[in-house]
Parts: sequence; C-alpha cells; structure tokens
Amino acid sequence: MAFSSHVFLFYFLPVLLALYHALPARRLAARNVLLLIAGYVFYGWICPWLTALLLGMTVANYALSRVIAGGCTRGGRLAATAGAIALDLAVLGLFKYAAFLESNLNSLLRLSGGDALPILRIVFPVGISFYTFKAVSYVVDVYRDRSPPARSLLDFACYVSFFPQLLSGPIQRYGTIDAKGETAPVFADQLAHREHTRSAFSRGVALFMLGFAKKILLADGVARVADAVFAAASPGTMDAWFGALAYSFQLYFDFSAYSEMAIGLGLMFGFECARNFDAPYRAESFGDFWRRWHISLSSWLRDYLYIPLGGSRSGKGRTYLNLMIVFLLCGLWHGAGWTFIVWGAWHGLWLVVERFFGRPALHAFLPAPLRTLATFLLVTIGWVVFRATDLADAGRILAVMFIPQPARGGSALLSAVIYTRGHLILMALCAVLTFQPVQGYDWTRRLGWAGIPVLVVLFALALMTMFAQSFRSFLYFQF
Amino acid sequence: MAARCSPGICLSVIFAAMIALVAPSQLVVEWRRGDSPQIAELFRRRPTGADLRNLESSLENACRIGQLVRPWMQWARFVIFEDAGDNAVLGRGGWFFYRPAVEYLVEPWSPEGEQAQGNVFDAIVSFRDDLAKRGIRLLVMPAPNKASVYSEMLARRAGGEGGPVNTATRDVLARLRRAGIEILDLFEVYERAKRTAGSPAYYLAQDSHWSPEGMELAAEAAAKRLLELGWVEKGSTKYQTRPAPVQRYGDVLRMIRAPQVERLFEPQRMNCTQVVDVETGRLYADDANSPVLVLGDSFLRIFERDAPGSGGFVAHLARHLGFSVSSVVSDGGASTLVRQQLARRPALVKGKRAVVWEFVERDLRFGTEGWQQVPLPPAD
Amino acid sequence: MMRHRAGCLRSVFFGVLSLSVSCAKKPDTGADLQVTSLGSVEVTAELLEIPGEIRNDPMYDYAHVMQYRVLAVHRGQVGKDVIYVGQYNPAKPRDAAADARAGRIGGNLRQFRAGDVHRMAMEVPIDDHYMGGIINRYFGQTEEPVYWALWTNRAAR
Repeated sequence: MAFSSHVFLFYFLPVLLALYHALPARRLAARNVLLLIAGYVFYGWICPWLTALLLGMTVANYALSRVIAGGCTRGGRLAATAGAIALDLAVLGLFKYAAFLESNLNSLLRLSGGDALPILRIVFPVGISFYTFKAVSYVVDVYRDRSPPARSLLDFACYVSFFPQLLSGPIQRYGTIDAKGETAPVFADQLAHREHTRSAFSRGVALFMLGFAKKILLADGVARVADAVFAAASPGTMDAWFGALAYSFQLYFDFSAYSEMAIGLGLMFGFECARNFDAPYRAESFGDFWRRWHISLSSWLRDYLYIPLGGSRSGKGRTYLNLMIVFLLCGLWHGAGWTFIVWGAWHGLWLVVERFFGRPALHAFLPAPLRTLATFLLVTIGWVVFRATDLADAGRILAVMFIPQPARGGSALLSAVIYTRGHLILMALCAVLTFQPVQGYDWTRRLGWAGIPVLVVLFALALMTMFAQSFRSFLYFQF
Repeated sequence: MAARCSPGICLSVIFAAMIALVAPSQLVVEWRRGDSPQIAELFRRRPTGADLRNLESSLENACRIGQLVRPWMQWARFVIFEDAGDNAVLGRGGWFFYRPAVEYLVEPWSPEGEQAQGNVFDAIVSFRDDLAKRGIRLLVMPAPNKASVYSEMLARRAGGEGGPVNTATRDVLARLRRAGIEILDLFEVYERAKRTAGSPAYYLAQDSHWSPEGMELAAEAAAKRLLELGWVEKGSTKYQTRPAPVQRYGDVLRMIRAPQVERLFEPQRMNCTQVVDVETGRLYADDANSPVLVLGDSFLRIFERDAPGSGGFVAHLARHLGFSVSSVVSDGGASTLVRQQLARRPALVKGKRAVVWEFVERDLRFGTEGWQQVPLPPAD
Repeated sequence: MMRHRAGCLRSVFFGVLSLSVSCAKKPDTGADLQVTSLGSVEVTAELLEIPGEIRNDPMYDYAHVMQYRVLAVHRGQVGKDVIYVGQYNPAKPRDAAADARAGRIGGNLRQFRAGDVHRMAMEVPIDDHYMGGIINRYFGQTEEPVYWALWTNRAAR
C-alpha cells in the first residue's frame, strides 16, 4: 500500500487513526498491538504471502538477539550475531540479488560456450532492503551492548513492521540514536512510553500533507518528463539534459516526500523520527551531499560498514578503499544491477577525490553558489546512470548530454511531450524549491496560522490532482 | 481555550475531515443505489494480491467524489498547463494526438525484442501462406499514426534534419516486402497528397483517425492496387456518393474525459459522403459472398458503422471496385483478435479471392494480444 | 475530557462499522426481470478463472472471455459444465458497461472475482451477437463455443 494511494488515504489511514486514538492512551500495549496488525495489513496488501517472510525474519532476528543478549560466551554471542546477519543477508541476497548473479553467471557461461542456467523468477518483496537493514542494525547493537534486546517479540515485531517506515524507511534504529542526526528518542523507549501530544500530532499532519503535495504535484509531474526522455530512442542534447534534471528533481521530491510522510505518520501515532533529508542539492561537495541525502542510510553505512572496516583510522590508502567499498555496496543496496554499482563507484570516487585534495575538491575555488551548482550537476550525472536500464543505455544518454546533437527520428516529437507549459512551470518550481533553504521538516515545527491555508490548499490540490491522474508508485519502492 | 483554537488543531481537524469523508460518502452513495458496499468485498473471502489490486482500482474508479472532481481538475490542468492528461498530447493549432501513438514513434522499438506474444513477421507471413493455400491473396495496409503523417502539427522541429519520424515502421515494411508481402504504403500516399497545394487535412484534428478525405484517398489507393494486381476485376455495380456531414468531438479529445475541456472547442465538422447503390437507391451494405474481405480496426469502423454510416473505408473501397465487399472489424484488435475471429468463423473467407488487412501503425508494437500466429482452419 | 473524546471516537467508529455491516446485503438468487428474460440461455455459474489481466484501455472496449462452471441452467441448453463467456468491458460495473457497440449489457455485478457466482442471461455464439475486440486467452485451447453475456447479476452459490 502506498501513502499516496486512494485506499491508504481514504480507508486505511482514517480507520487506523480512529481505532488507535479510540484506544485509551494508557493502554500502550494495545496500541502497539494495533500498530503491529496495521503493519502486517499494510504490507500484506501488496501480496499477502509477503507477511510470512516479514514474520519469519522478525522471529528469527528476535530469537537470535535473545541468544546474543543471553550472556553466553563471547564466541557464542559472535556466532549468533554472525548467524543473524548471515540470515538477513541471505534472504536479501536470495530475493534481491539471485537473479542478477545468475544473469551474470549465464553471460560468463555463454562466453565460455557453456549452457545457461534456467532463468530464476523471484518476486521482489518491496521494502526488504529497508527492514533487513533495520534488523541488522538491531542485532549488531545488541551484540555491541549499545542497545538492550527488545523487551518482547511484540516490541521487536512492532519495530520491524512499523508501517510508516516499512517500505522505504527512514531506517530508524531500535535502541540507539544516530549521534550525528537530529535528536529523536530511541524507538525502543517510544514503544514503552510515548507522549501523544496535540502539537506532535498536528506537526505530523503538516508533514504528511506537505509530503503528499510534493509527491503528487511535483514528483509525479516531472516524472513524466524524465520517463519520456529516458524512454526516447534518440533525444537531442537539450532534451537529455532536461530529462536528467527532471529525474534529479523527481528522485528528490519523491523520496523526500515519502520520508516526510513517514515521519509525519509516525508523529500521528506518537513516534518521533530524525530527519532523512536536509536540502541535499544545496550541498557544496559529495561529502556534504551524503550528510544531507537519505541520512538514515548514510549514517547506517557509516556505523555498520565504514567504521567496522576501519573507517579513516588506518591510513589514507585504507580510507580510500573503505570509501569505495562502502559506496559500491551502497550502489548495490539500491538495486541489483551494474548501473547501481557504477553509480556507487561514481560517488565513492568523488568522495575519495575530496579526501585526497581536501574538501570540497576540484571545484573548491568556485564561489559557494557555483560549488553547489557544480555538485548538483555531478550528482545529476550520477543519477543518469542510476536511472538507466543498463550501462549501454546510460552511455547513450550521457553521450547525448556531452556531444551536442539534435533529436533524431521520432524523438523529434519529444519536444511536444516534454516542453509543455505545465512541465516548464513545474521544472522552474522544482528548481526554486530545491535550492531554497527552508525545509519542510523545520517549517512544520513552527507552524503558525499563516501556514494553515497554504497546507490545506496544497493538500486539496494534490488530492484533486490524484483523482485526475494515474497512480505512480514511490521510486524507492523498487529498492 | 487558546489550545483549542491553535493552528495545529485546526489543521488536524481539516485533515481528518478531508481524509475521513470520502469513504462514508461513498458508502452513502452505494447505499442509496441499493448496492452493497464495495469495500465489503475485502471481507467476503481470503484475498489474493490480484483481488486486492482489483478492489483498489474499483474503489478508485467508483469513488463518486473523484468522479465529480476529475473533470474539473482535468479542465484546470488543461487551461493552466495545457496538459491533456494521460492519454492525449496537445499539438499545435488545436490538434490532439493519442499519447501511445506518439510513444510508439518516440521510443526505440524492435520487432525482435518484443516476442512475448508473437512476432509481427511470422504472424503476417503465416497468415499470407494460410490464405494462399485457399487461393486467396493478401494485401497488407498499415494505417499511419496521425503523428507520422502530421508530425509538424505535433512538434515544429519534426521532420527536419532528424529525418522521418517513423523509421522503425519503414524498416518493418521493408522487411515485409522482402518476405514477399504485398504492402499498400499509405505513408507514401499521404506524403504525395500533402505536397499538392491546397490539399485538405487527411487526419482529423481532434481524433486519432483519418478524415473523410484521408479515408477516401486510402480506399481509392487500395482499390487501385487490387485492380492493378489483377486480383479482382472491376465490378459493374454503380455507386454514387451523397454528402452526409457529421459533427462530433474527436476520440482523443473525449479521452481527456472532461466535458469542460470539450466545450472549449467546436465539435469537428466532417464532410462525409455516404455510398449509395445507384440502381437500388439503398445505402451501401456488405455482401458476404464478395470476392474481397476487408479486415481491420477502428479505421474501418469510423464513418462506416459510426455516423453517418455506409460512408467509411469499406463503402468507398466498394465504390472504387464496383462491387460490394465483406468486412470484419475488431476495434483495437487488428493484430491478432480479428484473425481469431476469422479462425472461429472460417466461412467468412469462403469464396474470397483477396483479403485487405488494415491495422494501425502503432499496433506493430502495441497490438492487443500481440502478433500471435492464428492458423486458419483448413479449407473444406 | 480525553476519556470523553475517546468514548466519542469509539462510538463513531463502531457506528460506521455497524452501518457498513448492515449495508452489506446478503447475496440472493440473482433473479430479476432482465436476467430471466434476456437472451436465449440463462444460467447460474461460478467464475472459475479470469485469464490474465483485464485490459482497461481508454481508447477501446473489449469483451474478455472468462471460464465458468455451470451450477444451474434456468433457460436454454448448455452443452458442458465448463463454459466460456465473453463479458464486455469487465473493468466496469455491469450497469455502466453498456454502449452503442455492445448493445444491451447490464446487471448488478460490480466487480469480477474468480470464485464468485453469477446469474447470467446469454447468447451463443458470441460472434453472432457482438462484432468487436474479443480477448479470448483460451483461443486454440478449446473448441467450445463462446457465450456472450448480456445480463450478469451476483448470486449465491
């Protein structure tokens, strides 16, 4: 179920809110049970059997975390931790990467004249990348004694299946706080005790409304430009740049909208969560970008991958290697495909360059606005690879972007599809909103009377637009 | 008191009202209609993923508030943003284009790459061979997408240094010719006709189909080809035409699904002509015993079965041939469905000498149910 | 105050729930004036399968052939237990499916779901009664005639 779908907005959410707040506030356990059921209904709506996978992962990780916390020998704790991580990664590998590995293996077999293996047909369980990472962070934190194990299976199941974060994050941790992020209470503590204040609820509403408007009015609008350009056979240079920029905007407004809606929904049920985006396209370097983009993922990678690999403590060469490893895996986490790996390498490479030269790197001599622009354009080039269906497709679009040429054949008709009055207005609006400093996460903290009509009009417009256009899923569902 | 009137509470109440009113209002609508609530479908039986998707789209489509809001929103988007919705693209000078037809031209496409439901070459060649076994000849006549003929009405830069907009179609036709398939190239016909000064529009501005003039040009070309090939001889029936102007909104404009948008335009006036048998004075009618069978899609339906009737491609083809033909029309199904219909009723090809097979250009890629091989039952 | 508010919310919720339940009419035999008079064949049948996805094209309307198991024959004759029925524009509720091309189509069925039971008034074969796109994914798998559904009501098993 997507937050921007008819059934979620008009059936699931009102019923759940009514039920939840009808339960007495002092009966937090009952409210948690309700949230657990809601999480499974929400997830099972996509495909009912997926709930079995979610339940299996939850029970297995909970059981192993009890073993880890059970005070057995260090070796036993380590083995249980390794077992839990191996299980999580194996499930992720099977559902997300098996087909990719097999197709590469088949390519090699064909090259060597062997017979290809039969094609695997595995359904990708939406959200698996996110809840697997939540589970891994939990068992590692329990192993490191940074977090106590969950009080009960109910608590842990509630954490894993918490529906606002289930499909596309943010990857909130169970028992620890991301020290560099915004301060939000630990999730485990919020399960045991949380305030349901009117101000938190209304801020959640404001964030949800804002996110919904961003998704429907901006992201879905520019998506049509990006889709048309990336699907075209031979777009012209200007078309390719226009499409690449449209995709940059789409990705940001789509994913940040999802995060805002998730955080907003959490607040409506009394849960706080740190911000996940902080004006990422205002970044002046790649390092800065990763402190602002998908913060819960970048901090997860830092705490559970980069630092365990040695971080920057083992010399320059090792730091560069660690950065490359982390970002190659970051790319792979986003999707099972060479485009994602190359995209990760692109970011890793720039981070290495920045480390090597001192940050910000090659364009440090530019004035701040140009540093921002240069970073944005470099990130956009990365998004082209990220969006392309394969490396050849990425090469094709990038070649058009950098070798001036007119649109050829039927792609000459693209201009009628992409340079419409509506798209030009939307793109300009996206550019302004992307680079302005005020973020919805902060703006909703100090919501005054003046903000109410703005939010209501935006939400109403978005609802009406939703009725008039076909449904578009959130981009990060595919990751 | 101050807390009660805070902006936050006000916002929460408005939000709750906006999301909570849709479902109850729908329940009331359904109750007043005497229907059971659609959402109750969820609890009737253990649902599958497909059931849930169906229910979701039914709830969305049936939502009364959505139905009321949709056309107004579409109107606002059209007026403010010139956005013609998911199915239409606004061209220049009030011309509308069917979006999938534009996508067909814009996106790369290879017949080999889209084999899931058969291959266009195999399907056409095997159909030709099946007909040949019965002594019937096949003339294939792809109807061009409007954007292929009038690309300049969609994008000013089209047809310039980038070359023709339908290279993929031209490649397919060339390959079919090499396979010995007889093709009537309407692209060439229209290109030549457009070069004539003062030529009328051969496609309708608001519609995805040809205009009466475009249709007559195609019918004349098809008849001429059949006669030139010697597959049939000119008949002796005398037909005449009689003006039957029709006025209506085009299908692409109607696909915006907003009467408010339609009202911004005049209905298109079409100078149709009906075909009348001079001897009997009756409007043209098909003859099941004709030596010519015409297969096709909505390009055959327009003006023939739609208003004014007996004034479409089939009637005008008969007029140029001098005898009645028979026809099978499968709206949006000329790639596979129309041949399945023939296979179910092989009597339709009995006694035929030639089959004219029309399908719209975009069906080469998007044909409904693909290009399956549909064997014709053996002749008696 | 909070307790009172929670109490109100509870009442509202359970009120809406009971309204929904009371609105859910029990399915009946599906008989009505139209289904018992239209067409030449009338059956009560279980929808066994909707093969593939229903095509919901804004440009065209198609009939989709579905597989049914006949539970009772009310009028006319049906050769086999399992029959193939063309339903026009099945993405739409039956009372909204009719148009000039399909002629008189109707019924109280709102959604097609495998496993449901329908009472239908039909004609056979489909090609004699409807000329348009027929999506028949059983083509080549069976020689049985395809029926053309005129009126489709929901019915109890």
